[in-house]
Amino acid sequence: MYKGFRSESFTAWAFMAPGLLFLAVFTFWPIIYGIPLSLTDYSVITETKYVGLDNFTRAFQDHNFLISLWNSLVYVLIVPVIQIISILMAILVNSRIPGVKMFRAAYYIPVVTSMVAVALIWSWLLGNNGVVNYLLLKAGIISEQVSWLSTSSTALYVLMFITMWKGLGYYMMLYLAGLQGIPADLYEAARVDGAGPLRLIVHVTLPLLRPHILFCTLISVMGAIRVFDEVYILTKGGPGTSTLTSSVYIFQKGLEQFNFGYASALGLIVSLMVGALSVLVFRLNRKGGVNSY
Amino acid sequence: MPRSLRVLITYLLLILLALFMMGPFLWLLSVSLMPGRNVFANPPAILPTFIAFDNYVQVWNFMNFPRYILNTVIITLLGVVFNIILSCLTAYPLAAFRFKGRSLVFTLLISTMIIPSATAMIVHYLTIQAFQLGNTFFGVVLPAAVSVFNIFLMRQTFLGIPADIRDSGKMDGASELRIFIQLVMPLVKPGIAVIGLLEVMAFWNNFLWPIVVLDDPEKYPLAAALTYLNGQFSYNFGWIAAGTMISVLPIILVFLFTQKYYMEGIAGAIKG
Repeated sequence: MYKGFRSESFTAWAFMAPGLLFLAVFTFWPIIYGIPLSLTDYSVITETKYVGLDNFTRAFQDHNFLISLWNSLVYVLIVPVIQIISILMAILVNSRIPGVKMFRAAYYIPVVTSMVAVALIWSWLLGNNGVVNYLLLKAGIISEQVSWLSTSSTALYVLMFITMWKGLGYYMMLYLAGLQGIPADLYEAARVDGAGPLRLIVHVTLPLLRPHILFCTLISVMGAIRVFDEVYILTKGGPGTSTLTSSVYIFQKGLEQFNFGYASALGLIVSLMVGALSVLVFRLNRKGGVNSY
Repeated sequence: MPRSLRVLITYLLLILLALFMMGPFLWLLSVSLMPGRNVFANPPAILPTFIAFDNYVQVWNFMNFPRYILNTVIITLLGVVFNIILSCLTAYPLAAFRFKGRSLVFTLLISTMIIPSATAMIVHYLTIQAFQLGNTFFGVVLPAAVSVFNIFLMRQTFLGIPADIRDSGKMDGASELRIFIQLVMPLVKPGIAVIGLLEVMAFWNNFLWPIVVLDDPEKYPLAAALTYLNGQFSYNFGWIAAGTMISVLPIILVFLFTQKYYMEGIAGAIKG
């Protein structure tokens, strides 16, 4: 029996070896190597020196980095908005009416298309003489054209909107899966007890969606802090530093200015923040109970 | 509220939402079919007054699309094959075997989700250079050759396979590898289809990492080439719109034809 267990253990590791090797090199190594790297001034130009915690003290005096952290935190504000809208969307596409599957697919298309394409379309729509300004002017919502992406006060919120628009379909599908797992007789029982549609949502749907809400909140918090593609393509952090998020700043320091050491230190700080926020989300949802995640 | 009114309101909401989600794409399609029109004209061109495919013909002739499409297909195929093989091999023992260190592997996998991609990219860049894989398709593919998410998804699928299957294979004297390839793998085809599709989309749409790794724009995949086109011809809207349509259509078609498996798979990812 014991021997059988041991050989099973050997086989298991043999199976996992190739995958774990790749993960070791491309997933674990960046985390591990980031730590010593963050203690040096490694860049391609000069000789590498050990600089101790200098990068970290520099980071907390780096005005742009602090702004980027703040912008990343502001970005997290889209998390609850996404959850509310996508839950409502899921309830809507959970209706048993003909053609509803077609709508599900339509809402999912932004998820599968590339961020490059999405960013391009929105940059045109949001241009000074673009369709959005035209429609808003016609409707009398704004009185003059707004340069949505090149005005400091609007750019970050516009990017958040685009991120939300692209992601809604994804969360809708996850919530839809949750909704379809709720037994119909629970609704029946509540209806018999005289509950209206709103009370059904508040007292039956939402509590039973709890594990899904936890999971979706968690991945969208991580997604919001790690946001990169749309910001990089559309504004590169500008105008000024108004949309500079932490990922964009790390990318600029690392792969544009080749300050690998400093960028690694910044990455480490952000990782710790994401870790702390994830723990917070878990604590807030202690009863959530998602198994393998 | 009578049922018919409720259905009517539901459809109304569904259509409004569809306009919001699909509108930008339909508008892009419309712009791509209007040769010589400016998207910033006043009032902006929203619906085509005439339809012509000039933009498509011209941009196809200007940009080496067959080259970029071939690059994208190679990168995508490599990425999908790596991901399927590696995540199945890694997930199978996590679902079917009992061994020491199983929960350790699990914890390690989960903890990887907190690192910002920009930081990982810096070390990936150094690693790829060290392996002398810069400017190669392998350099593009290898950092994403296996993902934690796919491992979780496949583990979920393997958990649904009865243990009897492995036992009966053992009884007949088959090796673990043979049991895995001949008995277990055929049963998880739907799961494989899902991670395959997820990776087709991920690799097809990837733009930044290829730009970082590849020095030679001739090796760019479509999405990366598109940023290049946009930079060069920021005022030839019709061309860019047509180029963008060419790059997104394949992936949208793949999605539409496979959405049943895909959506079930995404949904299955957070069950259990």
